[in-house]
Amino acid sequence: MIGKLRRVLHLVENSLLVTALITMLLIAIMQILLRNFFDGGFLWAESFLRILVLWVAMLGALVATRENNHITIDALTRFLPGRKIVLLVSNLAAGVICGVVAWFAFEFVGYEYEDQTVAFANVPTWLCQSILPVGFTGMSLRFLITSITGLFD
Amino acid sequence: MWAIAVIGVFLLAAIGAPLFVVILAAAMTGFFYADIPLTVITIEIYRLVDTPMLLALPLFTFSGYILSESALSSRLVRLTQVFLGWMPGGLAVVAFVTCAFFTAFTGASGVTIVAVGALLFPALVQAGYPERFSLGLVTTSGSLGLLLAPSLPLILYGVIVQQMDLENPFTLQDLFIAGVLPALLMIVLLTIYSVWTTRSIPLIRRQFTRQEAKQAVWDMKWELPLPVIVLGGIYTGFFAVSEAAAVTTMYVLIVEVGILREIRLAKLSGIIVDAMVMVGGILLILGVSLAFTNYLIDAEIPQQIFDLIRIYISNKFTFLVLLNIALLFLGAILDIFSALVIMVPLIVPIAIGFGIDPVHLGIIFLANMQIGYFTPPIGMNLFIASYRFKRSISELYRSTIPFMLVLLVALIVITYVPEVSLMFLDR
Repeated sequence: MIGKLRRVLHLVENSLLVTALITMLLIAIMQILLRNFFDGGFLWAESFLRILVLWVAMLGALVATRENNHITIDALTRFLPGRKIVLLVSNLAAGVICGVVAWFAFEFVGYEYEDQTVAFANVPTWLCQSILPVGFTGMSLRFLITSITGLFD
Repeated sequence: MWAIAVIGVFLLAAIGAPLFVVILAAAMTGFFYADIPLTVITIEIYRLVDTPMLLALPLFTFSGYILSESALSSRLVRLTQVFLGWMPGGLAVVAFVTCAFFTAFTGASGVTIVAVGALLFPALVQAGYPERFSLGLVTTSGSLGLLLAPSLPLILYGVIVQQMDLENPFTLQDLFIAGVLPALLMIVLLTIYSVWTTRSIPLIRRQFTRQEAKQAVWDMKWELPLPVIVLGGIYTGFFAVSEAAAVTTMYVLIVEVGILREIRLAKLSGIIVDAMVMVGGILLILGVSLAFTNYLIDAEIPQQIFDLIRIYISNKFTFLVLLNIALLFLGAILDIFSALVIMVPLIVPIAIGFGIDPVHLGIIFLANMQIGYFTPPIGMNLFIASYRFKRSISELYRSTIPFMLVLLVALIVITYVPEVSLMFLDR
């Protein structure tokens, strides 16, 4: 059951990531064509592209956490004893820190929600920002879960 | 309390916590003690949205991943072999040129050694080059194209500096132009060294035949327009860099997936996810360092470091010597993207204080990082080559050191003769 849920979650993440990137590419190409051949282009497209970069970044980071593929300074860890404890501590710390950021990200999005500002076209700013709390919550949970499961490996 | 928090941050780094977490911890500590609400961290990360040209990063990374998955490496080696292989030291030149081109387009993530180096190493040995020399040559070439457009580190340097609001701003185009001569200088010096060391060895040189040349060009017909589109588009100013990234990616997709069919459509989503995991990792670090840098600048840390350095060092040249040493060390322990994101906001204001042009600084920075890739004992490419060619790491140390010395000469020239970088710029 949990295994199935996890596979579905991974599939959703991957699909969102692929969709975001392909959309980004197509809109960027569309803008170039419009600019060169029709002397035009959509105003919303520029903002949308920038938001997409943020989403790709956060989704990519979420998957990086899943695959334990974040950039680290591993110069020292190779020589550290007590591998399990080290992993437990670093994952736990990462989980807590991401959790704190997620907390403040929810607050940040909350303010924006009250202000009801619009990012582009009819899309509200808070919706564009929502990937921040969602992403950091996801990463926090992943780090915490890994810190526990790592003990039993 | 202060001291304990700072020690905690360093401990986090030492036990191998993700770098973005370490930076977040540092930023949180800083803001906490400065009585600034931590919401500022999310606000700063959201500033990624306002960072110009960032779009180029995911797109160029994606096209680079597709190119390294395709059979471009073997076509490229063949083409350069036909056209450059007949010269004395020809195969060495082939290696340098191919690797530089491949790295510029795919990013210096070690993929050059795996994709191109793996083809060149046996070819070099077969042509009569000593094994240790060939090993060193291939490993050194793995980061050679770092200074050439459209390499990702070059773009990232531009992106980071652009959002710092300098008095004397520059464009990504300026950076791309500045990188050309320094990269050529490295290739020329490496070639001279290679020809000189192998002068007494009987080498098999290839004959140039028209038939072969035709065939090699024909095989590359789809990829040959690529540099023209990218470099021509960017250097003439027809495309903004992010537009060139979009056009390149679209073109590469159509060619490799649609026409040559070397990458099956089913594999594409996997490639996208892999590429974006890398992009996500880099951009997240960029985002959190925006927050951390904001704290540093708020606390006037760069100014304080500058004043401190100023007490001991009064001239530009001594500063540059120290900068080179520090960056070489940094390049060996940090991966290039993190090094850029963390160090550039600190170093740029200090270097400008010493009268160094930010474009020149970027070239110095990346030239150091390029050498850092194979600086013993922990340069990343040493391990990749050791793994790929099944040689001991100490053998790789010995084989790369002569090449490293040659590149250090190039680095000294690049550092102390700013004209090499700035000659064609109006600065």
